[in-house]
Amino acid sequence: MIYLPIAEMPVNVLLVLLVSGAVGFMSGLVGVGGGFIMTPALMFLGVPAPVAVATGASQIAATSFSGVLSQTRRKAVDWRMGMLLSIGGILGSASGVWLFERLLRLGQLDLIISILYLFLLAAVGWLMLNEGLSVMRGRTGHSVSILRRPARTIAHTLPFRMRFPRSGLYISVIPPLALGFGIGALAAIMGIGGGFILIPAMIYLLRMPTNVVIGTSLFQVLIVASLIVIMQAQATQTVDLVLAGLLMLGGVIGAQLGSRLGAGLKSEHLRALLGALLLAASLKFLLDIIIPPAEPYVLGGWL
Amino acid sequence: MKRILFTLALLLCIAPARAQQPAEMGNDLPAAVAEEQITVSSDYRGSFVTVFGVNPDRRGRGDIVVVVRGPTETASVMRKRRVFGLWVNGEAVHFSEAPTFFAVLSNRPLRQIASPESIWRYQLDPAAAAQLSSAVPEGGDPSAYRAALVRLRREQGLYQEYSGRAQADQRGGLTQYQGGLFRAVVRLPANAPIAQYHADTYLFRDGRLISSQRLPISIARVGIERRIHDLATNWSMLYGILTVLLALAAGWVAANLFRRT
Repeated sequence: MIYLPIAEMPVNVLLVLLVSGAVGFMSGLVGVGGGFIMTPALMFLGVPAPVAVATGASQIAATSFSGVLSQTRRKAVDWRMGMLLSIGGILGSASGVWLFERLLRLGQLDLIISILYLFLLAAVGWLMLNEGLSVMRGRTGHSVSILRRPARTIAHTLPFRMRFPRSGLYISVIPPLALGFGIGALAAIMGIGGGFILIPAMIYLLRMPTNVVIGTSLFQVLIVASLIVIMQAQATQTVDLVLAGLLMLGGVIGAQLGSRLGAGLKSEHLRALLGALLLAASLKFLLDIIIPPAEPYVLGGWL
Repeated sequence: MKRILFTLALLLCIAPARAQQPAEMGNDLPAAVAEEQITVSSDYRGSFVTVFGVNPDRRGRGDIVVVVRGPTETASVMRKRRVFGLWVNGEAVHFSEAPTFFAVLSNRPLRQIASPESIWRYQLDPAAAAQLSSAVPEGGDPSAYRAALVRLRREQGLYQEYSGRAQADQRGGLTQYQGGLFRAVVRLPANAPIAQYHADTYLFRDGRLISSQRLPISIARVGIERRIHDLATNWSMLYGILTVLLALAAGWVAANLFRRT
């Protein structure tokens, strides 16, 4: 047991390491960031939602930084696009933190987080389950969908166009800024990195080549998550350094083991399994707000 | 244990001298707390508060009430209501001066000791201290909100009520010994706020307050817990940057471990 100085509660060190390790393991295995599993998992352990969201961001910063480092070595980062996405992300996360604080004062933060997670987990779970199942059935769904991406999108018709030599693109700056803004706002409110939304959007909307997508999205996630940690520390004082340290330790070790093991395993089965798991989790979030509560009163806390 | 025995011995010496004075004068009740300073370090899992005292009445008449109070703070209670099939939090009802921690211990049920007026006057009940300070939503019952506040805080272990000696399944109780000695023990859970507390001891006879005593108990962070908390509240910008640097260091270590494999 260790006492968390900001959350003001004792937690079981082994349990937190186990949970963050398991989340890191899964993210290493399947290749997702894991913030959208880590934050609800922390809430499940009894960590107050604001602390879980704000502290989860620091773990996301750690994971994405290690990702950016290895992607840079492969020259798989489009810095210009990354900067543009980050500018949008900075503005988005600033308004996200502001909204977070407002909702916290209004006492509606937990509800909004629950609803957003409900949709998010259901959508991601459904996609993963479908993808995993269709690959298992022998269809090469993944490569087909990439080939089918549209030749021209809204990004090519809007004004303020700019060249992105690394990606070989000449597109408007508005979609990357807007995309970064949306992801930044979601990240601040939900404690997620947002890579799993950002990556498909970069492929289908911006038509970026797949080899630079992961590195560039990681760069944006790193900038946004780092900024969120600093802003949350100032605005709501909900960042717990001790919890953050535990999450990083568990997450890093878990991700290592996961990616080593993942190399020799069929990932589609795991994807389908994880997808089913996420669907089940979203069902839990749904039931929590649909079933008439046994205790109709709740205490407003934090601030 | 030695310290406790010493305190007891000291109290026993004082007691006869005090008992000679007329009890109606409302003189201070001889009492002491075993731990005036409770420290919170990284292994903190809550603690016990022990209050000792002596009933100055020679014949042992009267009833003892011990209240351990945390600082008061505005608390808000919301009632869930149904909107489009979803249960959302309704408008918040605020209570000013709600105690963040409240434990009341007595030698027999409080309602047999003091009148409802005294209970409210001396705030011997957690609900008595909480003042309604905002409007209640239409159709809402203020007392239901107040009861909910007490009920929810009780579930969190922040409000506790005991009468008589500690039972096996309880986390506190008040025990009376020979010679008018009494001892009250209450468990302070780890989620109780870290702040300045007070232990108040009251002597009632025939429903009237005879004497009382107020003792401070301070709960404070020490060591690394204190440094982290100070940094987070007073230097929040620096604290945020520090957390990010820690994250970057962890990421860097991870990236280099990956490269080697």
